[in-house]
Amino acid sequence: MYDFNVARPGSIDEAVKLLSDEDAQALGGGQTLIPTMKQRLAAPELLVSLTNIPEMQGVCRDGDTLSIGGATPHAVVARDAAAHFPGLAALAGQIGDPAVRNRGTLGGSLANNDPSACYPAAALGTGATIVTNTRRIASEDFFQGMFDTALDEGEIIVSVDFPIAEVSAYAKFAQPASRFALVGAFVARYADGVRVAITGASETGVFRWTEAEEALSQDFSHEALDGLSVDSDGMIGDIHGAPTYRAHLVSVMTRRAVAAAI
Amino acid sequence: MTVAKPLPHDSAALHVTGQARYVDDLPLPEGAVHLAFGTAPVAHGRLRSIDLTKVRAADGVLAVITAADLDHEIDVSPSPSPEPLLAGDTVQYVGQPVFLVIAESHLLARRAAALADYDIEELPAILSIEEAMEAGSRFEEGPRIYTRGDAAEAITTAPHSLTGSIEIGGQEHFYLEGQAAAALPQEAGDMLVYSSSQHPTEIQHKVAHALHLPMHAVRCEVRRMGGGFGGKESQGNSLAIACALAARLTGRPATMRYDRDDDMTITGKRHDFRIDYRVGFNGEGRIAGIEFLQLCRCGWSMDLSLPVADRAMLHADNAYFIPNMRVESHRLKTNTQSATAFRGFGGPQGMVGIERVLDHVAHAVRRDPLDVRRANYYRPLAGASGGDISEQAKTQTTHYHMPVEDFILHEMTERLVETSDYRARRAAVAEWNARNDVLKKGIALTPVKFGISFTLTHLNQAGALVHVYQDGSIHMNHGGTEMGQGLFQKVAQVAASRFGIGIERVKITATDTGKVPNTSATAASSGSDLNGMAVQAACDTIRERLAVFVAERAQARPEEVRFEGGKVLVGGEALSFDEVVRDAYMARVSLSSTGFYATPKIVWDRIKGEGRPFFYFAYGVAVTEVAIDTLTGENRILRTDILHDCGASLNPALDIGQIEGGYVQGAGWLTTEELVWDGKGRLRTHAPSTYKIPACSDRPDILNVALWDGANREETVYRSKAVGEPPLMLGISALMALSDAVASCGKAYPDLDAPATAEQVLRAVERVCT
Repeated sequence: MYDFNVARPGSIDEAVKLLSDEDAQALGGGQTLIPTMKQRLAAPELLVSLTNIPEMQGVCRDGDTLSIGGATPHAVVARDAAAHFPGLAALAGQIGDPAVRNRGTLGGSLANNDPSACYPAAALGTGATIVTNTRRIASEDFFQGMFDTALDEGEIIVSVDFPIAEVSAYAKFAQPASRFALVGAFVARYADGVRVAITGASETGVFRWTEAEEALSQDFSHEALDGLSVDSDGMIGDIHGAPTYRAHLVSVMTRRAVAAAI
Repeated sequence: MTVAKPLPHDSAALHVTGQARYVDDLPLPEGAVHLAFGTAPVAHGRLRSIDLTKVRAADGVLAVITAADLDHEIDVSPSPSPEPLLAGDTVQYVGQPVFLVIAESHLLARRAAALADYDIEELPAILSIEEAMEAGSRFEEGPRIYTRGDAAEAITTAPHSLTGSIEIGGQEHFYLEGQAAAALPQEAGDMLVYSSSQHPTEIQHKVAHALHLPMHAVRCEVRRMGGGFGGKESQGNSLAIACALAARLTGRPATMRYDRDDDMTITGKRHDFRIDYRVGFNGEGRIAGIEFLQLCRCGWSMDLSLPVADRAMLHADNAYFIPNMRVESHRLKTNTQSATAFRGFGGPQGMVGIERVLDHVAHAVRRDPLDVRRANYYRPLAGASGGDISEQAKTQTTHYHMPVEDFILHEMTERLVETSDYRARRAAVAEWNARNDVLKKGIALTPVKFGISFTLTHLNQAGALVHVYQDGSIHMNHGGTEMGQGLFQKVAQVAASRFGIGIERVKITATDTGKVPNTSATAASSGSDLNGMAVQAACDTIRERLAVFVAERAQARPEEVRFEGGKVLVGGEALSFDEVVRDAYMARVSLSSTGFYATPKIVWDRIKGEGRPFFYFAYGVAVTEVAIDTLTGENRILRTDILHDCGASLNPALDIGQIEGGYVQGAGWLTTEELVWDGKGRLRTHAPSTYKIPACSDRPDILNVALWDGANREETVYRSKAVGEPPLMLGISALMALSDAVASCGKAYPDLDAPATAEQVLRAVERVCT
């Protein structure tokens, strides 16, 4: 790790100002950034911690929308969202291990957009809106490929608005060593249709499985997915699984999410 | 008597409170230097030059040493085939040490080591077993072959035959404490070395050689290791030698430890194997003959690969009498880490091979694999069935012509079948599988027969040094090392029992080449057998002197003197042990002795494959029940029942601990622990984030372990049996249970390779279903 300074601003404005320095970097729970810095793969001179800003904390319901502060740890979401949006709360409760869940934040996870992270599936699978200090970004526009998002330099995820689904569930096949998703499927049913988002599988990061969405919008049962599969072309092949294995798991996990949601 | 009591590990309280000291915890004198290796970035290449300018200029760097800076080639190998400390003009695997950085701190040394610019002409690398066979890249002139009878003829004439092949992956040791060493320069060029090593005498020998010193000028001390598992039998040599060189060069203490990623990248692992088989059998599954082809990937240097591959051949029969057997073993040289000792030392791989054959044959004849296993077991002992001395009851021999004189697996299997409720549970599994499409269950019972002794016969010796102080307290030392297994406590129990005193009177001390010389590695499960006997001999010498002394005073005979409950009983009188010791001291009786032990009966010709390599066999049986998810391949161990033979246990608590740990480590090897190298020979699984060892939560919820209640038939220490390695192979029952579960999905044989990761299990399910 190289030397760096830490700032803990108490307001969004102050954070934005500090982040205008080109060698500054926003810090959520540090569950990815700190190990990356330890390996000297990142060398920010100033870390701007976002965990001391009151309006970025907590879970708040407004009608059919659950708004969650960008600096809210996964464990808090797992606890406080349970009564309002159980599928989302259950996803948060499966991320990593207790240490990760108590430190890692929603905004940090989305901004990092790890192709094997869980939260991108929830954001895309609910059609969430990512609220930053300057604008509102639809989840379809937010995720732009592995580790790439629509965020500009210095832009902060203040909160995320999740439309609350009628029913929803997340099914994850955890890579046994790291507990990251080898494949994760988030399925959510709304009055106007079903959304299916898949994480962990594709070389382009989280994606919507539109064929499955159409079939499930007609008939929300796992049988509706019979005969449907994703092409293994473009699936990740690595030390943990071949592209064909991941493609197979996409169908299985999606079915399981549907079964769990019902 | 203290022996046979289930006392806790002597350092248990120190372990859990963090007070137990490991090498890297030792406070070093002022000015210690820290070391790190710079390692090869390619699997095979000619090292044209290396630019170390940036390394030398880096913060805190005191010196950088390459092979060219050494006055002779320093050999770190435990085998006759040399292995240089630092690569010369060729590099042989990704991670091979090329230069040594000496710096002011561990981190500064590691950082500097990453700054070298290599100019390497890459050469074709041989990475896989198949590539090595193709290229004829091997150790020894050709394959070793052990035979009995005519396997080819027996297979041809048998009613049925089949062929198959299994790939068996390697295994990272994953000792909690990584490799570590420290060297302190002494006066007149002498060197004191602390090492996390299972083999202090080899550290002493190798350091002496590197420094051009006689062995008497080097002393190595090992208090404990945080796990060894064979990974610290030879792999610590490099660090200890590097520390000694740096200490001599700088005149300062030197210390070195591998970071976990470096440890996994640099050091050797369990050998991976491919085993091909051809077997002839009858309709009942009774085997007439087997031909095994064992292909063993040894990595770039010889290390301990020859005896490892030998032991795989010696366990190709496991518990079964195979009348005609041919085992052909190829020891293949590849551009990967040099595979090394790992709990079982090749035995587990050989045993997986034969258990796979039994599973395959049982599937072919459609019988419960347990019945096929029992039908092929070695014959019960003469006398066990009532003194029948006909031809039918004669002792059978193994394929390497050793008589099997202590076979107890019939009785053990029968008992475990009963206590585990195997028959009813097998029926319940079948019923479950008939009712469920997605989750399928499987159950399997596998036996273990493991040979005890070093196959290199001269290693079967041990020494001890025991002092009785004038206050009656005892200082005990022997050549064995403590790696968490509980050896020290078991041997201390022997010492306390010999003197009839409490264990608290016996001080356990660090292994030290200055106290007990010429020791063997604590390996081959031999720790208690060898060192327990050596300590017993030393104690008995002193006890005999005390007996003569008190008998003379009491006008009794020395053989009538008893040492019990802290008392010395003579002529109707009970003297306290302390009082006797004090009086003996005043009377100028020597209260210190060495002890020595050499294992009897063993003789072995490894080239011919003939003799009695083992003093005796240790036995075990395990039943494992698993569930698999046929849609994802995920699997869990639901329940395990074990019955294991420790002879008359020296300490049932420690022995059960070894059995539980051995089973879990063996099951981990065959299920989740997957080593992956890429096409360039880089190990991609070099941290716990990518390499999955079993955690507490992976232990089956029901894990019943019982000890077999028989004494060793051979005269071992208190008739106990070795327990270090044998239980690891109980984990084979997990692989066979998975095979059973997969087999329930269709008609074809599952043909499951190890490790049976979720992806492998799913592929096997797909094979069986189509």
